[in-house]
Amino acid sequence: MVRQLNAKVLKNENIQSLYYLLEIYCPWISSRIRPGQFIMIKTSENPYPLLRRPFSVFKSDYLNGSGKNKRVRLAVLYKKVGKGTQKMAEWEKGQKINLIGPLGNGFTLPPLSYSSEIILIGGGVGIVSLYPLAEALRDRKLYVLIGAKAREDLLCIDEFKKLTSNLFVATEDGSAGFHGTVIDLFSTLKREFDRKDPYYLYSCGPTEMLKDLKRTISFKKFIVQVSLEARMGCGFGACWGCVVKTVDPNIPYQRVCKEGPVFNLKDIVWD
Amino acid sequence: MPAQEPNLSVKIGKIRLKNPVIVASGTFGFGEVFENFFNLHHLGAIIPKGISLQPIMGNPPPRIFETDGGIINSIGLQNPGYKDFIQKRLPYLKKVKTHLIINIFGNTQKEYVELANRLNEVSGISGLEMNISCPNVKQGGIVFGTDPRMTYRLVKSVRKSTTLTLLAKLSPNVTDISLIAKAAEDGGADAVSLVNTFKAMAINIHSLKPELGNVIGGLSGPAIKPIALRMVWEVSQRVKIPIIGMGGIMKADDAIEFILAGASAVQIGTANLINPRTAIEVISGIREYLIKHRISRIQKIIGLFQSNKKAPSSFQMT
Repeated sequence: MVRQLNAKVLKNENIQSLYYLLEIYCPWISSRIRPGQFIMIKTSENPYPLLRRPFSVFKSDYLNGSGKNKRVRLAVLYKKVGKGTQKMAEWEKGQKINLIGPLGNGFTLPPLSYSSEIILIGGGVGIVSLYPLAEALRDRKLYVLIGAKAREDLLCIDEFKKLTSNLFVATEDGSAGFHGTVIDLFSTLKREFDRKDPYYLYSCGPTEMLKDLKRTISFKKFIVQVSLEARMGCGFGACWGCVVKTVDPNIPYQRVCKEGPVFNLKDIVWD
Repeated sequence: MPAQEPNLSVKIGKIRLKNPVIVASGTFGFGEVFENFFNLHHLGAIIPKGISLQPIMGNPPPRIFETDGGIINSIGLQNPGYKDFIQKRLPYLKKVKTHLIINIFGNTQKEYVELANRLNEVSGISGLEMNISCPNVKQGGIVFGTDPRMTYRLVKSVRKSTTLTLLAKLSPNVTDISLIAKAAEDGGADAVSLVNTFKAMAINIHSLKPELGNVIGGLSGPAIKPIALRMVWEVSQRVKIPIIGMGGIMKADDAIEFILAGASAVQIGTANLINPRTAIEVISGIREYLIKHRISRIQKIIGLFQSNKKAPSSFQMT
């Protein structure tokens, strides 16, 4: 169930380049949020910036050494890019913030009877929303492909290494791993994946990357769930500001915050 | 001595609202998405997302853009149409123990009249709010809301087809909003709601593309509040019917300003998206204000900001 809550910042640190790790004490959301769901954060108490900002949750877990069986901590990994995240970067331990969550429909996991490979493709900061999914799928045949512009934009590599030995990395400038986009990398690996079908594939990243994926992939071979990013007004379904066009003949424009953020890639229409 | 509980109730047409705080169409969905945030029974009235006879798919994204102190939207009145609204949305809304005012719009006078006729037969509805002011679509009625004669004719024809309390929601994108308000009053509206959003736009200077798919949208939020307030005050000099004030109300103090300027009730719009509990907080803030100034009924402060009215002594004391 969605709630609007006050919560306290436990930690807010610059982990690399423009990326920050924010940890929040929020048992309500932490104990309920599922992979692919998101939260809305008010970045300032005054009306500037005005709207909340949506964030996918990187981790929802126990406090170190708490010894209790209830998840209480939320971790958000964000990039300082605009006026909202600039405000957030100033937060320190103890800062009181206001959250709404958990929001949206998360990823649907493959049935337990499914024993083939599962592929995760993340681009840029989009990889963050795939981490809780990877944790849920850690005991299965998991492939993770991570792409970024350059080495300093590659995120969560160490965390993913703990979940799978099939981790592949691409950078557009060639400063680490495969030289090219993560979709180029996927194409080169496709032959390896081509032995069985269908495959469960999950992706999150910039729209251009997802468009590229849609052009590359065969929907006969893959079931593709993508988590979309969108400018949002409210985040909880009130304003219809964050819509994406779909193949649905009755309601083509669907809300990323409410019907999404996870959609089947084949249902999305990019004009 | 314990403070006397102030009476917050106001009358709009035939409707007696338990308090003057209404949630604005287009910012409250069909109500259900707010039920986790507060008990909707506390609201003065609910105005769900505007509806038309036929479903409308809305404008292409991006549909929303944040500016300094405001947001520009071009949703384009996306809605499932009258039939779907009655079947799937109304049953939930009817269960909420407050007044329900349905925001309607059409392409033509005939469509407004037909919608009003049909809704007149439906139980559980207290009033209609005619949108004659959406800046985002041609059929949003703005063509009716920018010309006093057309406003008069449209309101008059809808008035004949409904016994429900009738509101006309006005556009600020006119030379003199009080002329339009007067035309709505003359046409038989029970109240006027003002203002809808201000036509606006934003350009991405790096891509040279518009920030909205529709290029032009409507500006709302705190940035427009002083202008909206001025318009409410001007209209209050001109019409006798109640005014429902709106435009950038974020907190109780803003709402009280509108009431002092002449609004009998207020609508909360954009603020619902940011703090979904705004309406509830505004209601309690108004109550505290009345207690602080030892005013027994909200009626007493409607339009109190008038050069010829003498303020009660409690105001001079603080």
